[in-house]
Amino acid sequence: MATTACFIIVSRNDIPIYEAEVGSTVKREDAAHLHQFILHAAQDIVQDLAWTTSAMFLKAIDRFNDLVVSVYVTAGHILLSE
Amino acid sequence: MANFLAQFQTIKSSSDHIVISVEDVSGLWPTVKKGFEERLPFKRACLNNKTRNSVFVENLPAEFILTTDARLRSRFPHEQYLFWFREPYATIILVTCEDLDEFKTILKPRLKLIVQNDEREWFIVFVSRAHPSNDQATKMAKKVYSKLEVDFSSRKRERCCKLDIHSPEANFWEDLDFKIVESIRNTLDRRVQFYEDELRKLSEQRFMPVWNFCNFFILKESLAFIFEMAQLHEDALREYDELELCYSETVNVPGKQRDFGGLERGDEQAALLNSGNKPLNEIVQDDSFREFEFRQYLFACQSKLLFKLNRPYEVASRGYSFIISFSKSLTSYESILPFCMREVWVVTASLALIGATSSHYKEGLVALDVEKEFHRLEGDLYSLCRLKFMRLAYMVGYGTYLERSPVNSASLSMLPWPKPAVWPSIPPDASSEVLAKEKMILQASPRPKHFGIQRKQLPLEPSILLREANRRRASLSAGNMLEIFDGRPIDGVVSPSNKPHTAAMVRTNSIPGNFESSIDRPMRLAEIYVAAEHALRNTISNPDLLKSLSSLEEFEQKYLELTKGAADNYHRSWWKRHGVVLDGEIAAVSFGHGNFDLAAKSYEKVCALYAGEGWHDLLAEVLPNLAECQKILNDEAGYLSSCVRLLSLDKGLFLNKERQAFQSEVVRLAHSEMKQPVPLDVSSLITFSGNMGPPVKLCDGDPGTLSVNIWSGFPDDITLDSLHLTLTATFNTDEGVKALKSSTPIVLNPGKNTITLALPPQKPGSYVLGVLTGQIGKLKFRSHSFSKGGPAESDDFMSYEKPVRPILKVFNPRPLVDLTAAISSALLINEPQWIGIIVRPIDYSLKGAVLHIDTGPGLKIEESHAIEMESHTDVMDKTTMENRSLGEKNNCHSLKIEDGQVEFPDWASETNSVMWIPVRAVSDQLPRGSSSGAYSGLYLIFMYCRLMTDV
Repeated sequence: MATTACFIIVSRNDIPIYEAEVGSTVKREDAAHLHQFILHAAQDIVQDLAWTTSAMFLKAIDRFNDLVVSVYVTAGHILLSE
Repeated sequence: MANFLAQFQTIKSSSDHIVISVEDVSGLWPTVKKGFEERLPFKRACLNNKTRNSVFVENLPAEFILTTDARLRSRFPHEQYLFWFREPYATIILVTCEDLDEFKTILKPRLKLIVQNDEREWFIVFVSRAHPSNDQATKMAKKVYSKLEVDFSSRKRERCCKLDIHSPEANFWEDLDFKIVESIRNTLDRRVQFYEDELRKLSEQRFMPVWNFCNFFILKESLAFIFEMAQLHEDALREYDELELCYSETVNVPGKQRDFGGLERGDEQAALLNSGNKPLNEIVQDDSFREFEFRQYLFACQSKLLFKLNRPYEVASRGYSFIISFSKSLTSYESILPFCMREVWVVTASLALIGATSSHYKEGLVALDVEKEFHRLEGDLYSLCRLKFMRLAYMVGYGTYLERSPVNSASLSMLPWPKPAVWPSIPPDASSEVLAKEKMILQASPRPKHFGIQRKQLPLEPSILLREANRRRASLSAGNMLEIFDGRPIDGVVSPSNKPHTAAMVRTNSIPGNFESSIDRPMRLAEIYVAAEHALRNTISNPDLLKSLSSLEEFEQKYLELTKGAADNYHRSWWKRHGVVLDGEIAAVSFGHGNFDLAAKSYEKVCALYAGEGWHDLLAEVLPNLAECQKILNDEAGYLSSCVRLLSLDKGLFLNKERQAFQSEVVRLAHSEMKQPVPLDVSSLITFSGNMGPPVKLCDGDPGTLSVNIWSGFPDDITLDSLHLTLTATFNTDEGVKALKSSTPIVLNPGKNTITLALPPQKPGSYVLGVLTGQIGKLKFRSHSFSKGGPAESDDFMSYEKPVRPILKVFNPRPLVDLTAAISSALLINEPQWIGIIVRPIDYSLKGAVLHIDTGPGLKIEESHAIEMESHTDVMDKTTMENRSLGEKNNCHSLKIEDGQVEFPDWASETNSVMWIPVRAVSDQLPRGSSSGAYSGLYLIFMYCRLMTDV
């Protein structure tokens, strides 16, 4: 289980508007790139998944080795991913 | 029963259709054979599926075989039960008889003997050879047939039909088809029922010690095969699914140690689509099968059925999950499997699956959603294959040629190294190969980034390969890093991403050719590559994959093929982010090959995506590459635009030195020999706004100045050769825009700059700021971007709307100042006296105003005294203004008059003031000091006073 997390809010235009790295471990130097890349790519999955369910919390939608992407989609299609 | 496995597989492969036996009692088969066989395959055969529901099979292939045929005769009874699927599904008894007695005495007993076996589904075809013109023969035939019907047909079942060779009845063939299919259906139902009963019995014993999976398998697969032969693929698939479930339940029973398999040469080539890869009796182990082969066998059977059902999408979907789960199994047996077996298997499995599914897939036949999903799966398969292929390539030394991009880094840096029991050692006599690898390492110096960007490279490895490989060697203890690094101290902290090739670069102790001692000392990187390459050659038997890893060129070709495949499929699945990111990887290869045009096009797509969605960290990674391409291609406009975009990115993404490099490129290009002025939008870099507070107020016809705040995002001062700022009238858009110009060079400091622009007289109305344009050398820039209060102070960055606050208001003509006389008493003739003029600005600044005074005839300004001016409120404080006499100068400011003009002091520009003018009424007739009212015209003087505010 990863002990680091990246929380990001994405606007309905797919623009990241808030980003926070949380976690107890020492941050990898490339963490910002890594997390941004993974979360950005996960939007492809969200765009498909968001319309197939009425649930707002999409749970774990993607997995990148030990990093898991879970998403909460608001009614206005603002994404809260981590 | 397991002993029959080999036979079972042979029989299964040789019989793939239903058999109908023909009992040719009267030697008629050669005559009717052609007509019978023309009915094959049966069309829309009505069969029952496993749930006993009617299903119409469009084409049911079958074969007529004479009962005398060797294929049906040489069977042992126990085989019949085991391999029931190959037994005839129907028996057609062909008879003819032209004589009633003959029928009674010979044919009937014979037929009774034939049909006494109740298990067979049979019916009689009576063939009449009587010619229609021969009435007697026809009548006799009819008689015999009716007798036959009486004897063999029942109310429940019509078992006879009559074929007139010379003139068959119209519905004979339909009747024949019906009877055959009816027999097949009944046989099928009975056999399915039998197998189901048997399987149920076996399933109940599943957890007993006597349980034997092989027995269960043979029965289950026989049932599946029965369905498959009857073209009931859906039911067959269900049987295989159940078989898989049962296998996975029983295979991992704790306490039973079984061989996993996968140790034979060629096993690394995935056989997940080839059910005949290995005979089943070879993979049997005790009472079950080896997992490695059997799981692939089951998947192959399932995929074959899915392809028959025309569902390649499902093969891809199940296949991807299968590869992932099988890969996990391989991981758990990694220590006993050949080196990198898992990676190689995944590569071959993915490629096999991609090849098979894409060849079976036809565009446009399925719903759009399924089509998208299919391409997404293909993209995933390509990506998976690409990832494992990159890992293999890294192990043999092509890592330096892999782009250290976010996608590659994210995939590879979290993927653990292979974990063999013992890391492969360097083979003897490999010195020349080691030298070649060392040469390759030395040659592959990382390409310096454009603009001198010294970003730490993204890692492609979970930990340093050098350390990992040496740690896993049996003869070495882990942790002696100094030893590993050839005894040299390591600069700084060793991190996974920190120049993985340092060790190879600093080889000082290595003695080429002396590899005997490599057992005892840590392997160097080049040696690790060579050792891995040799180990992989032992693992890989697929010539194509071996070739792809044999040289850098071959590797790149395969890498490109996989990347393109993934990108293409992702684009088709509308996963643009995945697709575009891989386009960037293709661009990197194109760049490496000098194909800059192609590279620039792909990079542009990537940058557009990241910029459009505002993912700046990712954009900062790719944009310098695009800029480099544009520079090489001499695309000045594009290059300038990229530099400006780089400067516009968040300051924290680049060092100041790098940002200065971007700026110097902009300035250098702007002042270089560009053929034509390049227009450039710098809205993100230079923003502007009016001053805070109320707008500048001017009156019609008045010139003025306008100060504007400009924020510069450049890291250094930048000189603008000229600057234009448009003012847009809010009242009338047709009026067009008014440009304010500053043709003198302006130096913008980083951050906020306030510049003042001359404002020519404007028409009355409100004005807002429009567009800022300007020129740096030959670069024409343009900014539409308003700052609300500067980037630093702005917290409302979500709001992009244009501010409509007017910056300038020009009023209609109106009285701007009120001038009245402070004294209205009569003047003494020839006596110098003060005349006060009260000046009251009416909401208008009198800054720089000039008062023209024309005294008119008979009145003269006493120039020996200075004109004085004081605040009007001060004057009001005095007891009486009349008391004022020349020489009293309380809080007065002296002013000079020249040619009847007095310049207003700044302090008096906003407040009411009194201007004291020394005057003398001149008259030759009247004596000095006499009082007279004759100078009432004096009031008129002030009427001619004119204020000019020349600003």
